[in-house]
Amino acid sequence: MDADQIRAHLDPIRHEFADPRSLVMPALKFAQTEKGHLTREDMAAVAEATGYSPSFVESVASFYDRLYTRPVGNRVVSVCITLSCMLRGSDEVWEALCEHEGVDHHHGGTSADGRITIQEAQCLGYCDRGACIQVDAEETQGPFTPEEAVKLVEELREAPTPAELWR
Amino acid sequence: MPILNSVYRHREAGKTLTALADYRAAGGFKALEHALGEMEADDLQYAFVRSGLRGRGGAGFPMGRKASFLPKDSKLPKYVVCNADESEPGTFKDREIMEMNPFQLLEGLALAGFAIGAARGYIYIRGEYEHQARILDAAVLAAREAGFLGTNILRSGFDYDITVYRGAGAYICGEETALLESLEGKRGQPRLKPPFPAVAGLYGSPTLINNVETLAALPPIVTNGADWYLSMGTEKSPGTKLFSISGHVVKPGNYEVVLGDTTLRELIYEHAGGLREGRRVKAVWVGGSSVPVIGEEHLDVPLDYESLQGVGTALGSGGCIVMDDSGCIVRACLRLATFYRHESCGKCSPCREGTSWFERILQRMVDGEGRMEDFDLLESLFRRVSGKTLCPLADGAIAPIRSAITLFRDDFIRVCQEGSPRPDPMLPATVG
Repeated sequence: MDADQIRAHLDPIRHEFADPRSLVMPALKFAQTEKGHLTREDMAAVAEATGYSPSFVESVASFYDRLYTRPVGNRVVSVCITLSCMLRGSDEVWEALCEHEGVDHHHGGTSADGRITIQEAQCLGYCDRGACIQVDAEETQGPFTPEEAVKLVEELREAPTPAELWR
Repeated sequence: MPILNSVYRHREAGKTLTALADYRAAGGFKALEHALGEMEADDLQYAFVRSGLRGRGGAGFPMGRKASFLPKDSKLPKYVVCNADESEPGTFKDREIMEMNPFQLLEGLALAGFAIGAARGYIYIRGEYEHQARILDAAVLAAREAGFLGTNILRSGFDYDITVYRGAGAYICGEETALLESLEGKRGQPRLKPPFPAVAGLYGSPTLINNVETLAALPPIVTNGADWYLSMGTEKSPGTKLFSISGHVVKPGNYEVVLGDTTLRELIYEHAGGLREGRRVKAVWVGGSSVPVIGEEHLDVPLDYESLQGVGTALGSGGCIVMDDSGCIVRACLRLATFYRHESCGKCSPCREGTSWFERILQRMVDGEGRMEDFDLLESLFRRVSGKTLCPLADGAIAPIRSAITLFRDDFIRVCQEGSPRPDPMLPATVG
């Protein structure tokens, strides 16, 4: 994504902040919607659009879980594994998904076809619907059995990738 | 005691109030009209103090007193920041308010803004709640169009608007100074205090920071009066509180109870449908995961700040996680240790290093490779980490583990010797 596109996204909200540094995060989140992760070029464009140095922008991007500085799959599937969900079977859901996508059971990862990334998430705030799963930044869903979770990723694999990848 | 759905209007109305007309029909924005038309800012602030409302995010600090700490003579603009970074394990009450009743939060934010003379309000919402953030965006637009936000609100001369700001996945941003750093576009790492946000908060300006549930409680307090709010609950814990209950209960969900009126047993067995047939309570984290764990012997404790403190735990955020006797306490502690290790921001070395050691030691216990010296090792680590950090994350990591070792020592010793096979989870059942 280039700096002009980012500027156009920021212009309507610029007046809401006394310090333009507050625009760095919205800029990063928007820049990420193009490829689903942030490349060096994306971060340089954010730096140019906001007026901060590329190294500062990268330091911000690297801090947050939902800003990806490495490539991920077309769809990112976050499996909540924190206590409430664990008691409701999230480990079983996690393992079923890792098995199905052929990724490492400890760290998750991206399927060989590049379609699906399975990642662990810390408490997603849907403990009443554990075991819960969030696809990209869509509304979290649940509760899931391992079979239902596998069905969800199978459907995701067939579904078209959204035009904007909000994560 | 019965559920009392009196403070949060969507509960009283029994339906979602995402349309402005529905919120108005349920009595919405009457408080703002009343305050802007007939009250002075100081009277409003005094009403908050009198109501005794305590912060619902976890610390329980009196909301009105916090507002009164903002300097009156400051030349700098003032801000209200709503902490909607709800990330405490087991807590999902703010999500319900934002999803079902966004206008009550906006009205509360506007009231708080008027009371302190703020230039703008911000809602810092966790990145994972994009769905809820969009509901808030739509509500802000609707409220602005109807004249409840923007310039010269209800022809009172008061200018005030609200910005919804998305985080990007960091538990630490629920800590108020880390939240401010993040809102200022930086890495979300806590600041050294003092100065407190009331004096130097967002952009160095005086800032009032409150949780979603706290701010949403303000409109009914203004409409019905501080005495009405004070008449509910106990002397030190007035009002009602939303408890999120999850884990091994049949009907997990949010329940609004009058503080001090309901016992933990009633919350679990009457409201949340109890446990599965033949199961007993093993452990309960009443106020989210950062509080000491309690066992079956304390089920009759009334749910309020002082009673919970009396049995060695805390009301915290009201995120009540219940584990029955099918669960393994060491595995539960390990899972929480992993959470805190992952969420430690890395600024203070005792926390950054300590949380990863807690996890490693608990992991070897679960693997059956624990050693008797590990108990002393953990305790010595706790002493070296506790109180030596800028924010309470590390203490939040220690509290559930330390208390579990004290309370369930026999389980820990057995697991050290034999390991802990993974127990069967409770599979999807009735969801309340």
